[in-house]
Amino acid sequence: MEERLKLSPLYYIGTFILIAVGVAAFIMGFINDPTRAWANFLLNNVYFVSLAVGAVLFLALQRVTQSGWSAGFIRVPEAMGMYLPVAAVLFLVMVFGVHSLYHWSHSEAVAHDPILQHKQPFLNVPFWFGRMLIFFALWILLATMLRRYSLREDEEGGLVIFKKAAHVAKIFIFVILITFSLAGFDWIMSIDPHWYSALFAFKNFVSAFYHAAAIITFIVLLLNQFGYFPFLTRSHMHDFSSYIFMLCIIWGYFWFAEFMLIWYGNIPEETVYFVTRMQTEEWRVFFFANVIINWFIPFMIMMPAPSRRSKLTLKIIVPVLLVGLFLDLYLQIFPGVVGKQVLGFNEIGGFLGFAGLFMLVVGYFLTKANLYPKQHPYMEECLEHHV
Amino acid sequence: MKDQKQHLMGVFDGEDPLVEAFDKLRDEKVEMADFFTPFPIHHILEHHGRKSRLITVSWFYGLFAALGVLAFLYYTAVISWPLNFGGKPSNAFPSFIVITIVLTIFSVTILSLFTFSARAKLWPNVDKRIYHEGATDDKFVILFELDQIDEQKVKSLLKDLGAVEIIEK
Repeated sequence: MEERLKLSPLYYIGTFILIAVGVAAFIMGFINDPTRAWANFLLNNVYFVSLAVGAVLFLALQRVTQSGWSAGFIRVPEAMGMYLPVAAVLFLVMVFGVHSLYHWSHSEAVAHDPILQHKQPFLNVPFWFGRMLIFFALWILLATMLRRYSLREDEEGGLVIFKKAAHVAKIFIFVILITFSLAGFDWIMSIDPHWYSALFAFKNFVSAFYHAAAIITFIVLLLNQFGYFPFLTRSHMHDFSSYIFMLCIIWGYFWFAEFMLIWYGNIPEETVYFVTRMQTEEWRVFFFANVIINWFIPFMIMMPAPSRRSKLTLKIIVPVLLVGLFLDLYLQIFPGVVGKQVLGFNEIGGFLGFAGLFMLVVGYFLTKANLYPKQHPYMEECLEHHV
Repeated sequence: MKDQKQHLMGVFDGEDPLVEAFDKLRDEKVEMADFFTPFPIHHILEHHGRKSRLITVSWFYGLFAALGVLAFLYYTAVISWPLNFGGKPSNAFPSFIVITIVLTIFSVTILSLFTFSARAKLWPNVDKRIYHEGATDDKFVILFELDQIDEQKVKSLLKDLGAVEIIEK
Protein backbone atom coordinates (compact mmCIF):
# COMPACT_ATOMS: atom_id res chain seq x y z
CA MET A 1 0.00 0.00 0.00
CA GLU A 2 2.53 2.56 -1.09
CA GLU A 3 0.80 5.58 -2.48
CA ARG A 4 1.40 9.28 -2.21
CA LEU A 5 -1.13 11.97 -2.73
CA LYS A 6 -0.34 14.13 -5.74
CA LEU A 7 -1.87 17.58 -5.76
CA SER A 8 -1.93 19.44 -9.01
CA PRO A 9 -0.47 22.97 -9.16
CA LEU A 10 -4.05 24.12 -9.74
CA TYR A 11 -4.90 23.13 -6.18
CA TYR A 12 -2.11 25.28 -4.78
CA ILE A 13 -3.02 28.17 -7.07
CA GLY A 14 -6.61 27.86 -5.89
CA THR A 15 -5.62 28.00 -2.24
CA PHE A 16 -3.40 31.03 -2.88
CA ILE A 17 -6.28 32.81 -4.61
CA LEU A 18 -8.48 32.08 -1.60
CA ILE A 19 -5.79 33.38 0.74
CA ALA A 20 -5.47 36.52 -1.38
CA VAL A 21 -9.23 37.08 -1.14
CA GLY A 22 -8.96 36.68 2.62
CA VAL A 23 -6.06 39.10 2.93
CA ALA A 24 -7.97 41.66 0.84
CA ALA A 25 -11.03 41.21 3.04
CA PHE A 26 -9.03 41.72 6.21
CA ILE A 27 -7.13 44.74 4.90
CA MET A 28 -10.45 46.31 3.93
CA GLY A 29 -11.85 45.38 7.29
CA PHE A 30 -9.00 46.82 9.33
CA ILE A 31 -9.25 50.10 7.42
CA ASN A 32 -13.04 50.46 7.60
CA ASP A 33 -14.05 48.84 10.84
CA PRO A 34 -11.28 47.30 12.98
CA THR A 35 -13.66 45.89 15.59
CA ARG A 36 -15.56 43.94 12.99
CA ALA A 37 -12.34 42.75 11.38
CA TRP A 38 -11.02 41.50 14.72
CA ALA A 39 -14.31 39.71 15.36
CA ASN A 40 -13.89 37.98 12.02
CA PHE A 41 -10.30 37.16 12.80
CA LEU A 42 -11.26 35.59 16.11
CA LEU A 43 -14.14 33.67 14.55
CA ASN A 44 -12.04 32.13 11.80
CA ASN A 45 -9.19 31.40 14.17
CA VAL A 46 -11.46 29.53 16.53
CA TYR A 47 -13.22 27.84 13.60
CA PHE A 48 -10.11 26.24 12.15
CA VAL A 49 -8.48 25.53 15.49
CA SER A 50 -11.67 23.67 16.39
CA LEU A 51 -11.33 21.57 13.26
CA ALA A 52 -7.65 20.84 13.90
CA VAL A 53 -8.14 20.03 17.57
CA GLY A 54 -11.22 17.94 16.82
CA ALA A 55 -9.27 16.02 14.21
CA VAL A 56 -6.45 15.21 16.61
CA LEU A 57 -9.04 14.15 19.17
CA PHE A 58 -10.57 11.84 16.58
CA LEU A 59 -7.12 10.44 15.86
CA ALA A 60 -6.38 10.03 19.57
CA LEU A 61 -9.64 8.14 20.06
CA GLN A 62 -8.76 5.77 17.23
CA ARG A 63 -5.39 5.20 18.89
CA VAL A 64 -6.80 4.63 22.36
CA THR A 65 -9.58 2.30 21.24
CA GLN A 66 -7.14 0.58 18.86
CA SER A 67 -9.77 0.77 16.14
CA GLY A 68 -9.27 -1.38 13.12
CA TRP A 69 -11.75 0.16 10.74
CA SER A 70 -10.13 3.59 10.74
CA ALA A 71 -6.49 2.47 10.52
CA GLY A 72 -6.18 3.31 6.84
CA PHE A 73 -7.52 6.84 7.19
CA ILE A 74 -5.52 8.24 10.10
CA ARG A 75 -3.19 10.24 7.85
CA VAL A 76 -6.07 12.65 7.23
CA PRO A 77 -6.61 13.76 10.87
CA GLU A 78 -2.84 13.73 11.35
CA ALA A 79 -2.46 16.23 8.51
CA MET A 80 -5.31 18.34 9.87
CA GLY A 81 -3.55 18.50 13.24
CA MET A 82 -0.53 20.02 11.53
CA TYR A 83 -2.57 23.19 11.09
CA LEU A 84 -2.04 23.90 14.80
CA PRO A 85 1.39 25.60 14.50
CA VAL A 86 -0.01 27.91 11.81
CA ALA A 87 -3.01 28.63 14.01
CA ALA A 88 -0.68 29.46 16.90
CA VAL A 89 1.00 32.17 14.85
CA LEU A 90 -2.36 33.60 13.83
CA PHE A 91 -3.53 33.55 17.43
CA LEU A 92 -0.43 35.43 18.53
CA VAL A 93 -1.43 38.19 16.11
CA MET A 94 -4.59 38.57 18.14
CA VAL A 95 -2.63 40.21 20.94
CA PHE A 96 -3.03 43.44 18.96
CA GLY A 97 -6.78 43.01 18.88
CA VAL A 98 -7.40 42.28 22.53
CA HIS A 99 -8.76 45.75 23.20
CA SER A 100 -11.15 45.59 20.25
CA LEU A 101 -12.44 42.20 21.25
CA TYR A 102 -12.56 42.04 25.01
CA HIS A 103 -14.30 44.50 27.24
CA TRP A 104 -12.39 43.28 30.30
CA SER A 105 -9.06 44.27 28.81
CA HIS A 106 -9.79 47.99 29.29
CA SER A 107 -8.45 49.05 32.69
CA GLU A 108 -10.86 52.01 32.89
CA ALA A 109 -13.82 49.65 32.39
CA VAL A 110 -12.52 47.34 35.11
CA ALA A 111 -12.09 50.27 37.52
CA HIS A 112 -15.85 50.92 37.59
CA ASP A 113 -16.98 47.34 37.51
CA PRO A 114 -16.88 45.23 40.69
CA ILE A 115 -17.60 42.00 38.78
CA LEU A 116 -14.66 42.52 36.47
CA GLN A 117 -12.49 43.48 39.41
CA HIS A 118 -13.43 40.21 41.05
CA LYS A 119 -12.49 38.31 37.90
CA GLN A 120 -9.32 40.26 37.27
CA PRO A 121 -6.85 37.75 38.73
CA PHE A 122 -7.91 35.38 35.98
CA LEU A 123 -9.08 37.69 33.21
CA ASN A 124 -6.12 39.97 32.55
CA VAL A 125 -4.15 40.33 29.36
CA PRO A 126 -0.78 38.83 30.41
CA PHE A 127 -2.36 35.75 31.98
CA TRP A 128 -4.79 35.38 29.06
CA PHE A 129 -1.86 35.50 26.69
CA GLY A 130 0.20 33.12 28.79
CA ARG A 131 -2.60 30.58 28.90
CA MET A 132 -2.88 30.75 25.13
CA LEU A 133 0.84 29.99 24.80
CA ILE A 134 0.56 27.01 27.13
CA PHE A 135 -2.45 25.62 25.28
CA PHE A 136 -0.77 25.82 21.92
CA ALA A 137 2.53 24.47 23.21
CA LEU A 138 0.75 21.40 24.60
CA TRP A 139 -1.44 20.85 21.55
CA ILE A 140 1.37 21.23 19.04
CA LEU A 141 3.67 18.99 21.07
CA LEU A 142 1.15 16.16 21.39
CA ALA A 143 -0.20 16.42 17.84
CA THR A 144 3.31 16.37 16.41
CA MET A 145 4.24 13.40 18.59
CA LEU A 146 1.23 11.46 17.34
CA ARG A 147 2.16 12.19 13.74
CA ARG A 148 5.86 11.42 14.25
CA TYR A 149 5.04 8.07 15.83
CA SER A 150 2.76 7.24 12.96
CA LEU A 151 5.42 8.11 10.38
CA ARG A 152 8.05 6.10 12.24
CA GLU A 153 5.65 3.18 12.36
CA ASP A 154 5.64 3.25 8.56
CA GLU A 155 9.33 2.47 8.53
CA GLU A 156 9.83 0.26 11.55
CA GLY A 157 6.57 -1.58 12.03
CA GLY A 158 6.03 -3.72 15.07
CA LEU A 159 3.99 -3.02 18.14
CA VAL A 160 6.32 -0.80 20.21
CA ILE A 161 5.40 2.45 18.49
CA PHE A 162 1.74 1.47 18.34
CA LYS A 163 1.66 1.20 22.12
CA LYS A 164 3.59 4.43 22.60
CA ALA A 165 1.19 6.29 20.32
CA ALA A 166 -1.77 4.92 22.27
CA HIS A 167 -0.16 6.24 25.44
CA VAL A 168 0.37 9.72 23.99
CA ALA A 169 -3.21 9.67 22.76
CA LYS A 170 -4.44 9.08 26.31
CA ILE A 171 -2.47 12.07 27.53
CA PHE A 172 -3.82 14.15 24.68
CA ILE A 173 -7.43 13.37 25.53
CA PHE A 174 -6.97 14.47 29.14
CA VAL A 175 -5.07 17.58 28.12
CA ILE A 176 -7.47 18.62 25.41
CA LEU A 177 -10.54 18.22 27.58
CA ILE A 178 -9.17 20.69 30.12
CA THR A 179 -7.29 23.07 27.88
CA PHE A 180 -9.87 23.35 25.13
CA SER A 181 -12.57 24.05 27.71
CA LEU A 182 -10.45 26.81 29.21
CA ALA A 183 -9.68 28.09 25.74
CA GLY A 184 -13.40 28.33 25.02
CA PHE A 185 -13.89 30.34 28.22
CA ASP A 186 -10.93 32.56 27.39
CA TRP A 187 -11.49 33.27 23.76
CA ILE A 188 -15.26 33.32 23.38
CA MET A 189 -17.11 33.36 26.66
CA SER A 190 -15.05 36.25 28.03
CA ILE A 191 -16.48 38.46 25.27
CA ASP A 192 -19.50 38.73 27.55
CA PRO A 193 -17.58 38.87 30.83
CA HIS A 194 -20.67 39.29 33.02
CA TRP A 195 -22.28 36.18 31.68
CA TYR A 196 -21.22 32.64 32.49
CA SER A 197 -22.35 29.15 31.65
CA ALA A 198 -20.67 25.98 32.82
CA LEU A 199 -21.82 24.02 29.79
CA PHE A 200 -20.42 26.56 27.36
CA ALA A 201 -16.99 25.00 27.12
CA PHE A 202 -18.21 21.49 26.71
CA LYS A 203 -20.69 22.50 24.06
CA ASN A 204 -17.87 24.02 22.04
CA PHE A 205 -15.71 20.98 22.68
CA VAL A 206 -18.41 18.71 21.26
CA SER A 207 -18.91 21.14 18.41
CA ALA A 208 -15.22 20.95 17.52
CA PHE A 209 -15.24 17.16 17.58
CA TYR A 210 -18.50 17.01 15.62
CA HIS A 211 -17.45 19.28 12.79
CA ALA A 212 -13.93 17.85 12.64
CA ALA A 213 -15.37 14.34 12.24
CA ALA A 214 -17.48 15.68 9.38
CA ILE A 215 -14.49 17.31 7.67
CA ILE A 216 -12.35 14.18 8.02
CA THR A 217 -15.10 12.20 6.33
CA PHE A 218 -15.38 14.81 3.63
CA ILE A 219 -11.65 14.82 2.87
CA VAL A 220 -11.64 11.03 2.71
CA LEU A 221 -14.61 11.10 0.33
CA LEU A 222 -13.06 13.73 -1.91
CA LEU A 223 -9.79 11.82 -2.12
CA ASN A 224 -11.77 8.67 -2.81
CA GLN A 225 -13.45 10.41 -5.72
CA PHE A 226 -10.03 11.05 -7.24
CA GLY A 227 -9.03 7.42 -6.88
CA TYR A 228 -7.35 7.33 -3.49
CA PHE A 229 -8.52 5.10 -0.63
CA PRO A 230 -9.59 2.32 -3.01
CA PHE A 231 -10.52 0.17 -0.02
CA LEU A 232 -13.25 2.53 1.19
CA THR A 233 -16.48 0.53 1.47
CA ARG A 234 -20.00 1.09 2.69
CA SER A 235 -18.94 -0.33 6.05
CA HIS A 236 -16.34 2.39 6.49
CA MET A 237 -18.94 4.94 5.49
CA HIS A 238 -21.26 3.54 8.12
CA ASP A 239 -18.62 3.99 10.81
CA PHE A 240 -17.71 7.50 9.72
CA SER A 241 -21.30 8.62 9.70
CA SER A 242 -22.00 6.92 13.01
CA TYR A 243 -19.48 9.34 14.46
CA ILE A 244 -21.21 12.30 12.81
CA PHE A 245 -24.68 11.10 13.76
CA MET A 246 -23.73 10.39 17.36
CA LEU A 247 -22.04 13.78 17.73
CA CYS A 248 -25.01 15.47 16.10
CA ILE A 249 -27.22 14.12 18.86
CA ILE A 250 -24.73 15.11 21.55
CA TRP A 251 -24.43 18.59 20.08
CA GLY A 252 -28.20 19.00 20.16
CA TYR A 253 -28.28 17.62 23.68
CA PHE A 254 -25.74 20.10 25.03
CA TRP A 255 -27.18 23.01 23.11
CA PHE A 256 -30.56 22.29 24.60
CA ALA A 257 -29.24 21.56 28.08
CA GLU A 258 -27.50 24.93 28.20
CA PHE A 259 -30.49 26.77 26.86
CA MET A 260 -33.15 25.07 28.92
CA LEU A 261 -31.43 25.43 32.27
CA ILE A 262 -30.91 29.14 31.70
CA TRP A 263 -34.45 29.58 30.38
CA TYR A 264 -35.91 27.70 33.32
CA GLY A 265 -33.74 29.34 35.97
CA ASN A 266 -34.71 32.73 34.58
CA ILE A 267 -31.94 34.66 36.36
CA PRO A 268 -31.46 38.02 34.62
CA GLU A 269 -27.68 37.94 34.40
CA GLU A 270 -27.87 34.55 32.72
CA THR A 271 -30.86 35.07 30.46
CA VAL A 272 -29.50 38.29 29.00
CA TYR A 273 -27.30 36.21 26.72
CA PHE A 274 -30.26 34.39 25.21
CA VAL A 275 -32.57 37.39 25.21
CA THR A 276 -30.20 39.20 22.87
CA ARG A 277 -29.86 36.23 20.59
CA MET A 278 -33.34 34.78 20.63
CA GLN A 279 -35.74 37.63 21.11
CA THR A 280 -34.29 40.45 19.03
CA GLU A 281 -35.23 40.82 15.39
CA GLU A 282 -31.53 40.97 14.44
CA TRP A 283 -30.36 37.60 15.71
CA ARG A 284 -33.49 35.48 15.95
CA VAL A 285 -33.13 34.01 12.47
CA PHE A 286 -29.54 32.99 13.16
CA PHE A 287 -30.46 31.53 16.53
CA PHE A 288 -33.03 29.13 15.11
CA ALA A 289 -31.05 28.47 11.93
CA ASN A 290 -28.20 27.32 14.17
CA VAL A 291 -30.29 24.53 15.70
CA ILE A 292 -31.88 23.56 12.43
CA ILE A 293 -28.61 23.37 10.51
CA ASN A 294 -26.44 21.80 13.18
CA TRP A 295 -28.94 19.41 14.66
CA PHE A 296 -32.26 19.01 12.90
CA ILE A 297 -31.16 18.55 9.27
CA PRO A 298 -28.29 16.10 9.94
CA PHE A 299 -30.37 14.22 12.50
CA MET A 300 -33.31 13.73 10.18
CA ILE A 301 -31.28 12.95 7.08
CA MET A 302 -28.91 10.53 8.75
CA MET A 303 -31.51 8.57 10.69
CA PRO A 304 -32.15 5.83 8.09
CA ALA A 305 -29.23 3.42 7.89
CA PRO A 306 -29.04 3.40 4.06
CA SER A 307 -28.45 7.13 3.98
CA ARG A 308 -25.68 6.78 6.55
CA ARG A 309 -23.92 4.44 4.15
CA SER A 310 -24.30 6.58 1.07
CA LYS A 311 -21.50 8.82 -0.10
CA LEU A 312 -23.97 11.25 -1.62
CA THR A 313 -25.73 11.99 1.68
CA LEU A 314 -22.45 12.73 3.39
CA LYS A 315 -21.35 14.99 0.57
CA ILE A 316 -24.53 16.98 1.16
CA ILE A 317 -24.40 16.97 4.96
CA VAL A 318 -20.82 18.13 5.38
CA PRO A 319 -21.10 21.46 3.51
CA VAL A 320 -24.23 22.13 5.55
CA LEU A 321 -22.23 21.47 8.72
CA LEU A 322 -19.44 23.78 7.53
CA VAL A 323 -21.98 26.57 7.44
CA GLY A 324 -23.31 25.32 10.76
CA LEU A 325 -20.04 25.75 12.64
CA PHE A 326 -19.64 29.25 11.18
CA LEU A 327 -23.14 30.15 12.28
CA ASP A 328 -22.61 28.72 15.75
CA LEU A 329 -19.45 30.78 16.30
CA TYR A 330 -20.94 33.82 14.59
CA LEU A 331 -23.77 33.79 17.08
CA GLN A 332 -21.36 33.45 19.98
CA ILE A 333 -18.95 36.19 18.92
CA PHE A 334 -20.70 38.86 16.89
CA PRO A 335 -23.49 40.02 19.22
CA GLY A 336 -20.92 40.65 21.94
CA VAL A 337 -18.13 42.23 19.90
CA VAL A 338 -19.81 44.06 17.03
CA GLY A 339 -23.25 44.44 18.56
CA LYS A 340 -25.13 44.49 15.29
CA GLN A 341 -25.82 41.97 12.61
CA VAL A 342 -23.29 42.28 9.79
CA LEU A 343 -22.67 39.71 7.12
CA GLY A 344 -20.83 40.84 4.03
CA PHE A 345 -17.58 40.61 2.13
CA ASN A 346 -15.56 40.92 5.34
CA GLU A 347 -17.09 37.79 6.83
CA ILE A 348 -17.25 35.67 3.70
CA GLY A 349 -13.93 36.80 2.25
CA GLY A 350 -12.20 36.37 5.58
CA PHE A 351 -13.58 32.87 5.91
CA LEU A 352 -12.47 31.96 2.39
CA GLY A 353 -8.97 33.20 3.19
CA PHE A 354 -8.69 31.05 6.27
CA ALA A 355 -10.23 28.11 4.41
CA GLY A 356 -7.57 28.51 1.71
CA LEU A 357 -4.83 28.51 4.31
CA PHE A 358 -6.29 25.42 5.98
CA MET A 359 -6.53 23.63 2.63
CA LEU A 360 -2.95 24.60 1.81
CA VAL A 361 -1.56 23.30 5.09
CA VAL A 362 -3.60 20.09 5.16
CA GLY A 363 -2.94 19.37 1.49
CA TYR A 364 0.78 19.98 1.91
CA PHE A 365 1.07 17.66 4.90
CA LEU A 366 -1.01 14.98 3.18
CA THR A 367 1.45 14.92 0.28
CA LYS A 368 4.43 14.81 2.64
CA ALA A 369 3.82 11.26 3.81
CA ASN A 370 2.54 7.99 2.47
CA LEU A 371 -1.23 8.28 2.32
CA TYR A 372 -1.80 4.94 4.07
CA PRO A 373 -0.04 3.86 7.26
CA LYS A 374 1.22 0.69 5.64
CA GLN A 375 2.77 -0.86 8.76
CA HIS A 376 -0.11 -0.05 11.10
CA PRO A 377 -0.91 -3.28 12.96
CA TYR A 378 -4.60 -2.99 12.12
CA MET A 379 -4.17 -2.06 8.47
CA GLU A 380 -5.21 -5.52 7.37
CA GLU A 381 -8.36 -5.29 9.45
CA CYS A 382 -9.19 -1.96 7.89
CA LEU A 383 -8.85 -3.39 4.38
CA GLU A 384 -11.11 -6.32 5.26
CA HIS A 385 -13.52 -4.30 7.36
CA HIS A 386 -17.18 -5.14 7.02
CA VAL A 387 -20.11 -4.86 9.36
CA MET B 1 -48.87 -24.67 18.46
CA LYS B 2 -46.10 -26.90 17.22
CA ASP B 3 -44.45 -26.33 13.90
CA GLN B 4 -45.10 -29.57 12.05
CA LYS B 5 -43.07 -28.92 8.90
CA GLN B 6 -40.03 -31.01 8.11
CA HIS B 7 -36.76 -29.12 8.09
CA LEU B 8 -33.18 -29.53 7.07
CA MET B 9 -30.42 -27.67 8.88
CA GLY B 10 -26.89 -26.88 7.81
CA VAL B 11 -24.72 -26.00 10.79
CA PHE B 12 -21.50 -24.00 10.34
CA ASP B 13 -18.63 -23.15 12.60
CA GLY B 14 -18.27 -19.45 11.95
CA GLU B 15 -19.48 -16.34 10.25
CA ASP B 16 -17.28 -16.59 7.19
CA PRO B 17 -18.23 -20.16 6.20
CA LEU B 18 -21.88 -19.25 6.71
CA VAL B 19 -21.68 -16.18 4.50
CA GLU B 20 -19.78 -18.14 1.86
CA ALA B 21 -22.40 -20.89 1.93
CA PHE B 22 -25.18 -18.33 1.83
CA ASP B 23 -23.77 -16.73 -1.31
CA LYS B 24 -23.28 -20.08 -2.99
CA LEU B 25 -26.78 -21.31 -2.14
CA ARG B 26 -28.25 -18.05 -3.33
CA ASP B 27 -26.47 -18.47 -6.66
CA GLU B 28 -27.93 -21.96 -6.89
CA LYS B 29 -31.38 -20.53 -6.17
CA VAL B 30 -31.94 -22.74 -3.15
CA GLU B 31 -34.77 -21.49 -0.96
CA MET B 32 -33.49 -20.74 2.54
CA ALA B 33 -36.20 -20.46 5.18
CA ASP B 34 -34.34 -18.93 8.11
CA PHE B 35 -31.01 -18.31 9.80
CA PHE B 36 -29.99 -18.70 13.42
CA THR B 37 -26.76 -17.01 14.42
CA PRO B 38 -25.26 -15.85 17.72
CA PHE B 39 -25.12 -12.26 16.42
CA PRO B 40 -26.72 -10.41 13.52
CA ILE B 41 -24.84 -10.75 10.23
CA HIS B 42 -25.35 -7.72 8.02
CA HIS B 43 -24.56 -9.47 4.79
CA ILE B 44 -27.43 -11.87 5.31
CA LEU B 45 -29.80 -9.19 6.60
CA GLU B 46 -29.18 -7.22 3.44
CA HIS B 47 -29.28 -10.00 0.87
CA HIS B 48 -31.74 -12.63 2.02
CA GLY B 49 -34.48 -10.86 0.12
CA ARG B 50 -36.96 -10.14 2.87
CA LYS B 51 -37.28 -6.58 4.10
CA SER B 52 -38.13 -5.84 7.69
CA ARG B 53 -40.69 -3.09 8.10
CA LEU B 54 -40.14 -2.90 11.85
CA ILE B 55 -37.86 0.15 11.51
CA THR B 56 -40.50 2.12 9.61
CA VAL B 57 -43.15 1.15 12.09
CA SER B 58 -40.92 2.18 14.99
CA TRP B 59 -40.29 5.53 13.35
CA PHE B 60 -44.00 6.21 13.16
CA TYR B 61 -44.48 5.06 16.75
CA GLY B 62 -41.85 7.61 17.71
CA LEU B 63 -43.46 10.36 15.69
CA PHE B 64 -46.91 9.73 17.12
CA ALA B 65 -45.55 9.32 20.64
CA ALA B 66 -43.73 12.65 20.45
CA LEU B 67 -46.74 14.46 19.04
CA GLY B 68 -49.05 12.72 21.49
CA VAL B 69 -46.99 13.62 24.54
CA LEU B 70 -46.65 17.22 23.43
CA ALA B 71 -50.37 17.43 22.76
CA PHE B 72 -51.13 15.95 26.17
CA LEU B 73 -48.81 18.38 27.94
CA TYR B 74 -50.27 21.26 25.98
CA TYR B 75 -53.79 20.20 26.87
CA THR B 76 -53.08 19.82 30.59
CA ALA B 77 -50.86 22.87 31.01
CA VAL B 78 -52.56 25.36 28.71
CA ILE B 79 -56.15 24.40 27.96
CA SER B 80 -57.46 22.40 30.87
CA TRP B 81 -55.70 23.76 33.96
CA PRO B 82 -53.33 26.70 33.40
CA LEU B 83 -51.25 27.55 36.48
CA ASN B 84 -48.82 30.38 37.02
CA PHE B 85 -45.38 29.02 37.88
CA GLY B 86 -43.06 31.92 38.61
CA GLY B 87 -44.45 34.03 35.79
CA LYS B 88 -43.63 31.48 33.12
CA PRO B 89 -45.90 31.20 30.10
CA SER B 90 -48.43 28.37 30.37
CA ASN B 91 -47.06 26.86 27.20
CA ALA B 92 -43.57 26.29 28.66
CA PHE B 93 -42.37 24.48 25.58
CA PRO B 94 -38.67 23.98 26.47
CA SER B 95 -39.56 22.28 29.72
CA PHE B 96 -41.87 19.88 27.86
CA ILE B 97 -39.05 18.57 25.71
CA VAL B 98 -37.25 16.44 28.29
CA ILE B 99 -40.32 14.44 29.25
CA THR B 100 -41.23 14.16 25.56
CA ILE B 101 -37.88 12.58 24.78
CA VAL B 102 -38.15 10.15 27.66
CA LEU B 103 -41.71 9.10 26.90
CA THR B 104 -40.97 8.80 23.19
CA ILE B 105 -38.14 6.39 23.86
CA PHE B 106 -40.32 4.43 26.24
CA SER B 107 -43.23 4.20 23.79
CA VAL B 108 -41.05 3.23 20.85
CA THR B 109 -39.38 0.48 22.85
CA ILE B 110 -42.54 -1.03 24.27
CA LEU B 111 -44.63 -0.75 21.10
CA SER B 112 -41.86 -2.11 18.88
CA LEU B 113 -41.38 -5.02 21.25
CA PHE B 114 -45.10 -5.81 21.15
CA THR B 115 -45.22 -5.48 17.38
CA PHE B 116 -42.24 -7.73 16.97
CA SER B 117 -43.70 -10.33 19.32
CA ALA B 118 -47.02 -10.29 17.54
CA ARG B 119 -45.42 -10.68 14.13
CA ALA B 120 -43.15 -13.46 15.38
CA LYS B 121 -46.16 -15.15 17.02
CA LEU B 122 -44.51 -14.96 20.40
CA TRP B 123 -47.06 -14.56 23.09
CA PRO B 124 -47.57 -16.19 26.48
CA ASN B 125 -47.98 -19.95 26.47
CA VAL B 126 -46.52 -20.39 23.02
CA ASP B 127 -44.21 -23.35 22.82
CA LYS B 128 -41.68 -22.19 20.26
CA ARG B 129 -39.55 -24.77 18.61
CA ILE B 130 -35.82 -24.40 19.19
CA TYR B 131 -34.04 -25.67 16.14
CA HIS B 132 -30.47 -25.75 17.32
CA GLU B 133 -29.27 -24.82 20.78
CA GLY B 134 -25.77 -24.07 19.53
CA ALA B 135 -27.11 -21.05 17.62
CA THR B 136 -27.08 -19.07 20.84
CA ASP B 137 -23.50 -20.07 21.46
CA ASP B 138 -21.04 -20.66 18.63
CA LYS B 139 -22.93 -22.32 15.80
CA PHE B 140 -24.32 -20.68 12.67
CA VAL B 141 -27.38 -22.38 11.26
CA ILE B 142 -29.19 -22.21 7.92
CA LEU B 143 -32.70 -23.64 7.96
CA PHE B 144 -34.42 -25.15 4.90
CA GLU B 145 -37.95 -26.36 4.53
CA LEU B 146 -37.84 -29.84 3.05
CA ASP B 147 -40.79 -29.39 0.71
CA GLN B 148 -39.16 -26.40 -0.92
CA ILE B 149 -35.79 -27.89 -1.78
CA ASP B 150 -34.15 -30.74 -3.58
CA GLU B 151 -32.90 -32.61 -0.54
CA GLN B 152 -30.05 -34.60 -2.04
CA LYS B 153 -28.64 -31.65 -3.91
CA VAL B 154 -28.69 -29.35 -0.89
CA LYS B 155 -27.14 -31.99 1.31
CA SER B 156 -24.25 -32.52 -1.05
CA LEU B 157 -23.85 -28.77 -1.46
CA LEU B 158 -23.73 -28.27 2.30
CA LYS B 159 -21.16 -31.00 2.62
CA ASP B 160 -18.98 -29.33 0.00
CA LEU B 161 -19.37 -25.96 1.69
CA GLY B 162 -17.99 -27.28 4.95
CA ALA B 163 -21.05 -27.67 7.13
CA VAL B 164 -20.04 -29.35 10.38
CA GLU B 165 -23.45 -30.89 10.89
CA ILE B 166 -26.40 -31.62 8.63
CA ILE B 167 -29.55 -32.36 10.59
CA GLU B 168 -33.03 -33.34 9.56
CA LYS B 169 -35.70 -32.37 12.03
